[in-house]
Amino acid sequence: MKTASCAFLLVILAAVPAAAATITNKDTETAVLVVVEGESRMEIAIDAGGSESICPAGCFLTTPSGDRIGLQGDENVEIINGSAVVK
Amino acid sequence: MPTPFKFLVVLLSLWMTLSALPARAQDAAAPVPEAQTDVVSAQSQATDQLNAAREELKRLTDLVDKAKTDDNRLAELKVDVDATAKSIIGTSIATRPRLDEIKARLAELGDPPAEGAPPEAGIVSQERERLIAERGEINALTGDAENLSIQATKLSNSITATRRALFSNTLLQHTTINLEVLQSASSSFVTEGQELSRSLTSWISFAWKYKRLQLLTAIFLSLCAALFFLSGSYRLFSPLIRRDVTDMEPGYITRLSVAFWSTMIPTTAASAFVLSSYFFLQSFNVLRPDIAPIIAITLAVSVGLLFVATLANAVLAPSEGNWRLVRVSNLGARRLMFAIIAMATINCLDYLLGGISEAMGSPVVLTVVKSLFASLFIGFILMIMALIKPILPVGAPLDSPGLPWPRAMSVLFVVAGGLLIATAVIGYVGLARFIATQIVVTSAILVTAYIGILTGKAVAKQNAFADTVVGRFLEKRFGMGQVALDQAGLAAGLGIYALVVVFFIPLILLQWGFKIADIQAWAYRLFTEIKIGSITISLVGIFAGILLFAAGYLITRWFQRWLDGSVMARSRVDAGVRNSIRTGVGYLGVGLAGLIGISAAGLDLSSLALVAGALSLGVGFGLQNIVSNFVSGLILLVERPFKVGDWVVTGTTEGFVKRISVRATEIETFQRQSIMVPNSLFINASVGNWTHRNKLGRSDIPVIVGYDTAPRKVMDLLLEIAEAHPLVLRNPSPMAVFTAFGETTMTFELRVYVADIVNGGGVRNDLRLEIFERFRAEGIGSPFLQQTVEEEPALAVQEVARDAPAVTDEDAPMAVDAKPVTTPRRPRRVGSSTPGEPS
Repeated sequence: MKTASCAFLLVILAAVPAAAATITNKDTETAVLVVVEGESRMEIAIDAGGSESICPAGCFLTTPSGDRIGLQGDENVEIINGSAVVK
Repeated sequence: MPTPFKFLVVLLSLWMTLSALPARAQDAAAPVPEAQTDVVSAQSQATDQLNAAREELKRLTDLVDKAKTDDNRLAELKVDVDATAKSIIGTSIATRPRLDEIKARLAELGDPPAEGAPPEAGIVSQERERLIAERGEINALTGDAENLSIQATKLSNSITATRRALFSNTLLQHTTINLEVLQSASSSFVTEGQELSRSLTSWISFAWKYKRLQLLTAIFLSLCAALFFLSGSYRLFSPLIRRDVTDMEPGYITRLSVAFWSTMIPTTAASAFVLSSYFFLQSFNVLRPDIAPIIAITLAVSVGLLFVATLANAVLAPSEGNWRLVRVSNLGARRLMFAIIAMATINCLDYLLGGISEAMGSPVVLTVVKSLFASLFIGFILMIMALIKPILPVGAPLDSPGLPWPRAMSVLFVVAGGLLIATAVIGYVGLARFIATQIVVTSAILVTAYIGILTGKAVAKQNAFADTVVGRFLEKRFGMGQVALDQAGLAAGLGIYALVVVFFIPLILLQWGFKIADIQAWAYRLFTEIKIGSITISLVGIFAGILLFAAGYLITRWFQRWLDGSVMARSRVDAGVRNSIRTGVGYLGVGLAGLIGISAAGLDLSSLALVAGALSLGVGFGLQNIVSNFVSGLILLVERPFKVGDWVVTGTTEGFVKRISVRATEIETFQRQSIMVPNSLFINASVGNWTHRNKLGRSDIPVIVGYDTAPRKVMDLLLEIAEAHPLVLRNPSPMAVFTAFGETTMTFELRVYVADIVNGGGVRNDLRLEIFERFRAEGIGSPFLQQTVEEEPALAVQEVARDAPAVTDEDAPMAVDAKPVTTPRRPRRVGSSTPGEPS
């Protein structure tokens, strides 16, 4: 029992999830996204192949293709061909 | 089954299969329109939700506008606004899958043909147009949601700003204090008094005339509640809260706990009583709207006063010096107590009069002036407190005259009092009132909390709990032992800590102007999401996961016991199989419970992959042995080369298997020594098992006889002896073998089979005794006794012992004994050299 409990605790501590939405740019050119988080509307640029963590508490995203999506704050988003693919 | 019926069944099934095929084909052919209706409904649902959220936001904005001055209401509204903002994001997330579908379909359709390229089919361009239109709609919808969410956040932020302004306004409102103000205040004070008495008398006469029954019922029920709460709590907790008069020198814990509980319990009981009385008065419609707030504030203020008074009495104990928590002189205690109660009374009166003014609709200036006087009085009392001389020199009796405060303390009192007076006089009456209240109420709460923490600490000390009233009661009533009492003490200590934290922190926060809605939101956030950088931890989730794991573990154990005790025991399954199944079920159940727990805790198992990668390196080096043993244990359970209770030999270890566990197997030697043998040893090395399939086994007894006896006679005799023994099996039958020629002796071996090899030692013992006695009776051994050969027989015996590899160590000396003629001068007791032999 002791062993099992220890193992369980270890697993819990190890598996604490990361919470901010992670955006990864898979394209070959820099992607410029419009992020609306809280009151502010801001533009962020992600280099080709780069990734960024944004909006832990939910936000809206406008991708280079012009599509708008809402994010809860725990998704992994990939920018492929200028549009967002939520994993 | 009759043939026609069978035929019918075949036909029917054939028809069903065939008819299902085209239907499926149709399904495949027409997914678009169906999906479209689905989508349209999802989209319209999202639109509806957004509209609802817009309405809600509008309503909330109006409400916020209306409640601009009501801090309490604003705090509640903020919670609603935040929830709406969350729901807006949720709405837009719901449209995401459809957008992905559209994008995928558009990618399938490809770009429209370039100019000059052959035109595409009309249906394709139509679909593309339709999809693009829908995509635009969804984007517009999300844009709407975006704007709404910005609005909601703005509203939420503006509420926060309003509340901040409200707080600083109340505190820092400035009123010029001059003669004019005082005059107008005094005139309105007179008017207010008249108004109050008028409305009170009118209410009483109204209640008496028209609501007599209700009034009396409410009063009666209140009295019942008082009986229940106040006297009930006194009766129930009297040992906790009453000072024992006979106890001349109460211990520190006793004093602490009496102080803590004699403050807590009466105050809680009084609050319950006050709440219930107000509830009765309200629900019987006895109260009028103008009277209700006055009654409410009177009740609340009296509870506050009671709290401060009981606390001061508990800590200072002016009449019973031996119960005092702080070391101050009798006179000092009395004066301090008087000062504290005076401050509390003034503060309470301030709030009571303020409430009355509000209920009567008197001008604000009256409230201000009342608070001004209250602050001035409290300031003066504070300054006077600096003059009290309560400090006792070390070793002085309690009734000796005290020394003045230490310099820092008296300066603190004077400065606090002076500041209070100055703040009030220059016109910041709100601030002065706030500070005065904090001085009285917050310090009272803090002192109580501190006493509570001290009590918890003292109770949790080793063996301290047994000396308390509760500990003695538990010992007497339930016969708890010292260890149990100690553990109970630890639990009680932790419980008191928890009580202090849960009860007093919100109380202090409320005192400082935070609202219940704020505290709720904080507590909620504390338990559901703690953010550290980009990581969110949910206490509730982890707690639920642990709880589920514990439940799964308990269920596994219960299932194991049930399977083992009820099912397998009755179906007469072999003990080894039972043990294997039991252990396997245990591992499986715990693993499953762990998985369920982890997923309930909301943990992402994929992030475990990283840890697993790191662990595998560790496993490769450090944990290699443990893992190998664990896997070996699993193989042992499945393959079962031995089971619990078997007699096994591995390496130098021999004994009975007691338990097969995760890492090692417990073997008990014949000397009752427990040896933990790592499981991998059983897998890697050869293991001898005496009782693997059955317990049948052969036992050998070498016998050495001189050449003057006929060998056949000896063999017949040996067989006869063996066959006469009840535990020796008839089939396979015992054998007597002539195994070796010695220089002066012949070596025989009696080989017998016994049903249970565990009894082998006993059987051999019996047989040797019998052989000795029979040989002597038959005269076989006697020639040796009369021979005068000195050294040779002993030599021969040793050689025999060395030459016979099949003979175990224990047998060799016994063989010597079995042939008494050879060792006449060295008699030894049978079995004296075989302490570990099973019997």
